[in-house]
Amino acid sequence: MTEHHEHDLGERFHALRREDAAAAPALRATLAAARVRRAAPPRARALGLATAAIIIASVAVAVRVIRRGMPSDLGAVRLRTPTDFLLALPNEDLLRTVPELGRVTITLDRRTP
Amino acid sequence: MSPEAPELDLERKLDQLHPAAFGWALACCAGDRAAAEDALQASYLKILDGRARFDGRATFRTWLFSVVRYTAAGQRRRAALRRWLPLAVLGATPDGRPDTATEVARADGTRRLTAALETLPRRQREVLHLVFYQDLTIAEAAEVAGVSLGTARTHYERGKAALRKVLKEELE
Repeated sequence: MTEHHEHDLGERFHALRREDAAAAPALRATLAAARVRRAAPPRARALGLATAAIIIASVAVAVRVIRRGMPSDLGAVRLRTPTDFLLALPNEDLLRTVPELGRVTITLDRRTP
Repeated sequence: MSPEAPELDLERKLDQLHPAAFGWALACCAGDRAAAEDALQASYLKILDGRARFDGRATFRTWLFSVVRYTAAGQRRRAALRRWLPLAVLGATPDGRPDTATEVARADGTRRLTAALETLPRRQREVLHLVFYQDLTIAEAAEVAGVSLGTARTHYERGKAALRKVLKEELE
């Protein structure tokens, strides 16, 4: 970059500075507005806090409602799938219970080969 | 010394730097005049309330510019949050773009410059503004922008090249 280019850029920025300075609000007006701001209650902040509180409360209520419909002990949950019947074994009760001696009653499913 | 003396002293210093501070606030708010005035008012309020204190480690000018930059950045974050959340009730949200009235009032040359500056990344824009517009050294610009000298130098060189390119393309 040549020195001429830098000078050209500098000139452009200085022109911008002159325009901004001409359009700048007076310091007194800016300070007065700042003091009014200091004296005024922070409405936007209060509204923001209120909105945030409402959002947090809504999320908390939603979480509680959703949790209410869910079982508390996930260990007791048995998933039922449409293909459960494929896993059913003939006489599967025998596999789950311990037969008592002398009272063994085995009922065979005659449809099984 | 009366208790009002420090505030009067501060006001005198602010008076000297006010036009430059307004220009810097405009640059920090991407040419949005309303946002710039807001940022400047909030910055002055912080200074006069003593929430931002000048500790003499830098010049008063670079310190003031840092306060303005920090305040404008906070406003940008809040504006982004308001755009993201449906909080229109909180009032108009600056969109970080130059307002039409300010742009129309500009001369052709400066309008081209502001348009070209808009195409640059924020950091490059800030460093170029501080060096060319505010006549700060790159070291002072680094202090205001909160980056290392090397980083500021890189932003300066890349920004300058990109700006020249955009301005040249526009003229061709």
